[in-house]
Amino acid sequence: MPFDAEKFIQKSVSETRALVNGGKAIIGVSGGVDSSVAAAISSRALGMNIKCVFVDTGLMRKDEAHRVKAMLATAGVDLHIVDASKVFFEALKGISEPEEKRKIIGAEFIRVFEAEASSFGAKYLVQGTIAPDWIESGSGLRATIKSHHNVGGLPKKMGMTLVEPLHELYKDEVRKIGAALKLPADIYNRQPFPGPGLAVRIMGEVTPQKAQIVRVACAIAEEEIEKAAHEGKMALPWQYFAVLLPVKTVGVLGDARAYGNTIAVRAVESMDGMTAKACPIPPDVLERISDRITRELKEHVNRVVYDVTSKPPGTIEWE
Amino acid sequence: MFVSIVDFGSQWTHRIHRTLTYLDVESKIIPVTTQFSEIKNSDALIISGGALRIGIGGAEETGNTKEYLEKFEGPIMGVCAGQQFIGLHFGGKAQPAAGPEYGKVELVIDEHDDLFAGLPDKFTVWASHNDEVVNTPGFSILAHSKACSNHAFKSHSRPIYGCLFHPEVEHTEHGSEIYSNFLKIVKR
Repeated sequence: MPFDAEKFIQKSVSETRALVNGGKAIIGVSGGVDSSVAAAISSRALGMNIKCVFVDTGLMRKDEAHRVKAMLATAGVDLHIVDASKVFFEALKGISEPEEKRKIIGAEFIRVFEAEASSFGAKYLVQGTIAPDWIESGSGLRATIKSHHNVGGLPKKMGMTLVEPLHELYKDEVRKIGAALKLPADIYNRQPFPGPGLAVRIMGEVTPQKAQIVRVACAIAEEEIEKAAHEGKMALPWQYFAVLLPVKTVGVLGDARAYGNTIAVRAVESMDGMTAKACPIPPDVLERISDRITRELKEHVNRVVYDVTSKPPGTIEWE
Repeated sequence: MFVSIVDFGSQWTHRIHRTLTYLDVESKIIPVTTQFSEIKNSDALIISGGALRIGIGGAEETGNTKEYLEKFEGPIMGVCAGQQFIGLHFGGKAQPAAGPEYGKVELVIDEHDDLFAGLPDKFTVWASHNDEVVNTPGFSILAHSKACSNHAFKSHSRPIYGCLFHPEVEHTEHGSEIYSNFLKIVKR
C-alpha cells in the first residue's frame, strides 16, 4: 500500500502526545522539510507546550533565518531564533576531519537546546530525524558513512529524552505529510539542506570567511538552476549546491596571474537521498554559474568544476 | 504474509522493508544474532546486503545466518552480501570482484522464470559491490552484467534466490516487481 499520510499524522500526533505526557518539549527547527514537518506535527500534538528553536550556526544559507521564520509563520509555527554563530565557529577552529566536524556540531546543537529546554522547563527534545539519518550514522554491522548531527553526532550524555516522529520515513514521505498538513508548498518542497549546514560544503577547516564564500556560491548555483528550471530548460533537481574545495589553481584575471580556490557545483536527482544521479545541466546554465561565481567571488575563486558522480559511489554532500 | 529481513548492515536494508510495506507485506528487520526459533514461522527470509566482505573474513560476522540457511524451509532471497553468503554456504567461491560496480549497471537477464518473470531482457539496476560469488554448485545463473557473470542466481533444489544488485533502491528499474515476483514464489 502506498504511504498514507493522513493515517500517519493521526498516529504520530497521538503517539507524540502520549510520549510527552503533559510535559513540555522543545524542537530544533532548521527550516528544512523534516524539522518543519516535525514541528507542525508536534505543535498539533503539544500546543503551547512546545517551543520551536532555530539555531543560527553561522553556517546557514543566505538570508536563511529570516526566510525560515517568515515561511513557518504562515504555517502557524512561532520560531525562536538563537544566534550561536560565534560558538560554532570557535568550536570548529582548526578542525578539518569531516566526522570530527559533524560531532562537534552535533554537540554544540545539544548545548544550545539544553539551555533552551532548561529555561522553558522542557524534558523532551523533538527532532526531525528520518531514516537516512540513522542509517548513514551506522551502528552494529551497519557502517558509518557519515554521522548525522542529530544521531551519530549527539553527545553520549544529554539531559533530554528524544522524540523522533519521522524516524522510519524518507524525504518523499515527509513531503507527503507536509502536503497533508496543508503547510505552504515552499516548505515541504524545499530542497534538502544538511543539518551541519555549510560546514560540510567547506572542505577542510571552517572559517567565517570560507562560510561566506560558499554561501555566495551556493546562492548563485541555486538562483541560476532555479531560473533554468523555471524557464523549462531543465527539471528542478532534487538537491543543488556549491562546495568550496581546498584546491588552488592558476588563473588569469585582467591579464594578471591569479592563484585561487575551486568551487564544485553539484546537482542530483533522487527521491529518497539513498541513491542519486548527477543531473544533466544544460551547458549554457553551467557556463552562467561559472561566470557569475568567478566574477562575484573574484578575490577567492578562479575555477569552477561540475561533479558528475552518482550515489553510490559518491554521497550527495561531499562530507 | 510475514517476511523476516536478516540485517547484514546494508545502507538499504530499511529500503527492503519499505518496498515490502508498499507491496502490502508485513516485515521485520532482525539482527543476525536472532535465535532461529524466533524467525522459523516467517513465510520467507530476505538476507540484506552490507559492508561485510563475505569471501575474506566477513562470513564470520553473520551470526546465526548459517543456521537459518540450514533449517529454514521456506523461500529465501539474498541481496548483495546476502547473495554472496548464500553462494559461499552452498559451496561457491566468494571473492573480490573482477569488476566491482558502484551505481548504474546494465543488467542482462539470462533466465526469465519466476524472479524476472514479465521483465525486459535488459534493464538498468543499481549496484554497490566490491565482491562477488562464483561457481556455486546446484545454482543456475539468472542474470549478468558486462563486468559480473553472476548478478542473480537460484537453487535447483530449494526456493533460494540471490541478487548481487539491489532491487530495493529507487534507481533500480523494475525493483518492486522483482520483490513482487519473489513474493509470488512465497505464496505458491
